[in-house]
Amino acid sequence: MNILRWWWGLLLAFALMAVGRVFVPLPFANEVLIFSIYTMGCNYLLGRVGFISFGQPAYLAVGAYAAAFYLFYFGNNPYVGLLFGTVAGIVFSLIIGPLFVRLRGDYFALVNLALAVIIFYLMQKVLADVTHGDNGLWFLTSLTSTPILDLTRPDQFFIFAFLVAFALWAFYKYLDDSIFGALCLATKINEDKVKFLGYSSFSIRLFAFVIANTTTALAGAMYAVYLGFVSPAITGPERAADPVVVTILGGVGTLYGPLVGSIVYTGMKDVFSKIIGNWELVIGFLLVFIMLAGEKGIWGSLAPLLEKLFTRGGKAADRGSRQ
Amino acid sequence: MNMQLLISGIIFGLSLGGIFFLMSIGLSLCFGLMRIISLDQLLYYSLGAYLTYTVGLLIGDVWLGVIGGVVVAAIVSLLVERVVFRRIYERDLPFTMITSFGVLIGGVGAIKYFWGLIPRPVPVPIAAQVDIIGTDIPVYRLVIIGVAVLVYLGIWLFLNRTIIGKAIRAGTEDCEHVEGLGINVYRLFTITFIIAGGLSGLAGGLYAPLIMVDPQMGLEVLAFIFMVVIIGGLGSIKGTLISSLLVGQVVSLGSLIYAPLAQMAPFAVMLLILLVKPTGLFGSALQKR
Repeated sequence: MNILRWWWGLLLAFALMAVGRVFVPLPFANEVLIFSIYTMGCNYLLGRVGFISFGQPAYLAVGAYAAAFYLFYFGNNPYVGLLFGTVAGIVFSLIIGPLFVRLRGDYFALVNLALAVIIFYLMQKVLADVTHGDNGLWFLTSLTSTPILDLTRPDQFFIFAFLVAFALWAFYKYLDDSIFGALCLATKINEDKVKFLGYSSFSIRLFAFVIANTTTALAGAMYAVYLGFVSPAITGPERAADPVVVTILGGVGTLYGPLVGSIVYTGMKDVFSKIIGNWELVIGFLLVFIMLAGEKGIWGSLAPLLEKLFTRGGKAADRGSRQ
Repeated sequence: MNMQLLISGIIFGLSLGGIFFLMSIGLSLCFGLMRIISLDQLLYYSLGAYLTYTVGLLIGDVWLGVIGGVVVAAIVSLLVERVVFRRIYERDLPFTMITSFGVLIGGVGAIKYFWGLIPRPVPVPIAAQVDIIGTDIPVYRLVIIGVAVLVYLGIWLFLNRTIIGKAIRAGTEDCEHVEGLGINVYRLFTITFIIAGGLSGLAGGLYAPLIMVDPQMGLEVLAFIFMVVIIGGLGSIKGTLISSLLVGQVVSLGSLIYAPLAQMAPFAVMLLILLVKPTGLFGSALQKR
C-alpha cells in the first residue's frame, strides 16, 4: 500500500501526459518532454541546493555536441549518441564542478552564464572546422533505425522520451526522500550546521551539481537526436535563462513544477507567437508577477489546493480504519 | 605587429573599455548601494540606443537623441523602481536577479512591439579623424573615453563630496541608523536607481553609432557586463573601472593577435581571477543587510 502511495502521483501525472498525447500535436508533446527533462536539473539546483544557474545551456550544449560529434563523425546509432552525451555530461561536470560549487550563490549564477558564453563562442568560432560554425551539424538522414524503439520516427521517439522522463521523475522523487536529498536541502538552509553534523557540504554540492547537470546533458543529447542537427544557437546568450524562467513558472523545488512549467512555457510560446507575435512581453511580466506574488509558481499554488481536495477523502478513510 | 596597428588597437580598447564601464556602472551601483542585482539595466541600455536611433532619424541630431535616451531611460527606471523594486529591496540576491530578468525580457518584448525586429543603423555624429603619432583615430572614440572618465569622476564626487552621496553610502552601511536620523532611505535608493538607469541609457546612446541597434542587443552584452562586474568585484566602482579597461584591452589586443580569441579571452581571464580571488579584484565578502 505504501508503495502505491509513493508511485500514484507519478503514475497519475504521466498517465495524463500519455492521454494528452492523443490530443496535442506530436512535435509539441516531444518538445515538452525534452524541455521538462532540461528544466529538471535546474529545478533541482535551484530548489534543493539553492544554486541559481543562468548557464544551464552550457551543459545542454555539452550533451548535444557530444552526441552530435559521435553521430556526425563516427557512428549512426542514436542510442550510442545518447550514451555519449550523458557520459560527456558526467565528465564535464566532474571537471567543472569542484571549481564552481565553492562560489557564493550570486557569483555561481554569473560564472555559469560566462561558461555558457565561452562554449557558445567555442562552438561558433574557435572550433568552427569541427562544428561547422553557425551552420551546425546535420545528421538526421544518416541516423539508422533501431530495432525496438525507432528513435528516428517522432512517434516512437515520444515513447522513448516518455519512458526516460518517467524514470528521471522517479529518480528525483527517490532523491527527495533519501538522506542525500535531505542533506542538499540542509546545505541550502544552513551550511554551517551541516558541517557541524559531520557532513562535507562540498561533496554534497558537487554530487548534486553532477546529477543535475548530467540530466541537462541528457536533455541536450535528446535534442540532438530528435532534431537531427545541432548548432551553437542552443547555448546562445539570449536563451540562457530559459530553464530558470520555466522553473520559476512551474514552481521552484516542486516535483511536478518543471513538467507544468514546460507545458505552459512551450504552449505560451506557440500560442502567443501566433496571436501577438512577441511572447517575451507576456513571459516577462508573468515572471515578475509570480515573483512578486510569493514566488510559488503555477504548480506551487495548485498543489496545496489539489492536496486538500484529495486528502479529505484519504483522511476520512484513515480515521475509519483506526477506529 | 606594427606601431600604427598597436596604437589604434590600444585606443580602440580604451573606448571599448569606456563603453563597458558605462554599461556596467548601473549594475555595479545598484549592487554596491542597494544590494540588488538589477539585470534590467540592460533594458535601459537598449532603450537609450533606440531613442538615439529614433530621435536621430526624426530630428537629425544624434547628440539630442543620446540626451533623449538618457531622459527616457531615467523615467522608465523610475517607473520600474516604483512598481517592482520598491517591494523587493529586502529580498535575497537571486530573487532580485530573477525578478529583474523578468523585467528585462518583458521590456525586450515591448521594444520588439514598438520598433520591430529589424536591426537599425545609427549614423556616427563625428566623422572627423585626428592624427596621433601617425595613426588616424576617429574623434568619436576619443569622445567616448572622455565621457567615461567624466562619469567616473562625477560619481566619485557625488558619493564622496555631496551630502546626498554621503547619506546613500551611510544607508548602505546601516539602513536603520540613517532612517533614525530622519533621512528617507528609500528616496535615496530611488535617486540611485534613476542615476544607474540614466547611465545605462547613456551607454546605449553612445554605443549605438558603433553597432546596429536591435532588440536583442541588451542580452548580447549581458555576458560581457557580468564579466566586467565579476572581475572588478560586485559593487566596487573603482573595480568596475579597472576591470572594464582591462577587458577592453584584452578584447581589442586579443583580436589583433587571433580574431576568434577576442570574445573568449576575457572569459578565460575572468575564470583565472575567480580561481585566485573568488570575490573579484576589489570585491569584499559583502553580506546582505
